[in-house]
Amino acid sequence: MSAVELLLKDASAMADAVRSNAVSAVALVQASLDRIAATDPRINAFTDVVRERALRRAGQVDASLASANGARTRELPLLGVPFAVKNLFDIAGLPTLAGSKIERDSTPMRADAALVRRLESAGAVLVGALNMDEYAYGFTTENSHVGAVHNPHDLTRIAGGSSGGSGAAVAAGQVPLTLGSDTNGSIRVPASLCGIFGLKPTFGRLPRTGSYPFISSLDHLGPFARSVRDLALAYDAMQGPETAGLHDPGCARRAVEPTALQLTHGVAGLRIGVLGGYFRQRAQADALSAVDRVAEALGARKIIELPMVEAGRAAAFLITNSEGAALHLANLRKRPQDFEPLSRDRFLAGALLPAAWVARAQRVRRLYAERVARLFERFDILLAASTPCAATPIGAEWFDINGHRLPVRANMGVLTQPISCIGLPVCGVPVWGAHASLPIGVQVIGAPWREDLVLRVAAALESAGVAQSPVAAL
Amino acid sequence: MTPGQTEAYVDAAAAALDLKLRPEHRPGVLRYFALAAEMAALVEAVPLDPHAEPAVSFVPVSPAEPES
Repeated sequence: MSAVELLLKDASAMADAVRSNAVSAVALVQASLDRIAATDPRINAFTDVVRERALRRAGQVDASLASANGARTRELPLLGVPFAVKNLFDIAGLPTLAGSKIERDSTPMRADAALVRRLESAGAVLVGALNMDEYAYGFTTENSHVGAVHNPHDLTRIAGGSSGGSGAAVAAGQVPLTLGSDTNGSIRVPASLCGIFGLKPTFGRLPRTGSYPFISSLDHLGPFARSVRDLALAYDAMQGPETAGLHDPGCARRAVEPTALQLTHGVAGLRIGVLGGYFRQRAQADALSAVDRVAEALGARKIIELPMVEAGRAAAFLITNSEGAALHLANLRKRPQDFEPLSRDRFLAGALLPAAWVARAQRVRRLYAERVARLFERFDILLAASTPCAATPIGAEWFDINGHRLPVRANMGVLTQPISCIGLPVCGVPVWGAHASLPIGVQVIGAPWREDLVLRVAAALESAGVAQSPVAAL
Repeated sequence: MTPGQTEAYVDAAAAALDLKLRPEHRPGVLRYFALAAEMAALVEAVPLDPHAEPAVSFVPVSPAEPES
């Protein structure tokens, strides 16, 4: 199989091919760079391509394979796999933009983010940085500074956000693996709209050192891929607290809990519920149909309501609005005209929220987490749509949800926000056929620290053909 | 909050923060502040015991271990 053909497979297949000398890492990375060059003028997923670095690194991988260390190198799980990261991850030699114009003035970084280093230690090769909503405050990646990301499955539509480039690059087959961040839904929303798998781990699982922050107590990092085994390999390679130097105080001091070898354990015995109420009222028929297909495949019939969900979502909204604005207050004062026009006024308003609202939101959030924990005494997995609908047209301001006309940009994350607010692990799985031509994602939600279960369920859905992630025809 | 109360609060809070709202930004700021106020009402409606803890807890920072 040629490197060009391999690029349409998943990362695991690519690593196997490099491992068996069927293809070189250099050829594979070159094929990725060529596909980016050929397709990105239509997608706009990449804001930087680190061509020389990538080819140099791939050459090092090939040289290591041919050296006395070859046997050890061959064991690396992501051998020669090209990957890219949302442009809020530090990349040595580049300023970390976080989707902004303002950060173009910042000093180029001296080192890579912790998770970039970990993926490269696992054999992967960084090829570039990806487009996103400014400062991660959005769900559509209609970035006014560098242009919108176009959905590879329908170029007239959004890719979702804020990790829109991360979703689109994988759906377009430019790279098989990307990283993004998720504060209120920014991994699960683009995964849903681009028809790929995305993992938002438990809050505190993966270290965020070397990534541009948004909301310290809500920010999660995680991978996107076109197969569950790729998610598991990448996730396993990134786990574990940092042991030296700078470290993320929000990262739990938990040992690595590998998941990749458990993916085939099946779903027998798991207690799986379907979220009703809030989650069904805020979704269009297509999204509900996607959830129903998944529920049926898993034999899940119990409909349950998440206690306090509206208050929990409101708490996440207030904390995000206030803390995000406080983070950028100096620039909101000095250069408001340089902010993304689509989120600037929301940031400005957030700077003015009374402290009592935010303090109470943090207390309500904890109570909500405690109530939901009780629900997980009776269930292992909960299901809900990832987005209220499939991808909307670029520039669309409004959509209709159950007879209510709502702003798209504020509501595309209405189903993800209450889940990340309390840090639960989620695997977003792509479902085709519920909408006439586009994918819609379903959230497979677990109790804290049970990434093993959400990935197992996702793998079962993938193996049953209920969830799948084809490369877009471009 | 009434629209008039929202306007009065937003202008006063912006002044307290030395955040000069440009005329073209002010309508959007008022709209988003009103949305936040709706969210705050949902949070305010939850009864909380005085012992209800916030979600974020502080971890003291120890000095670095001396290098041996």
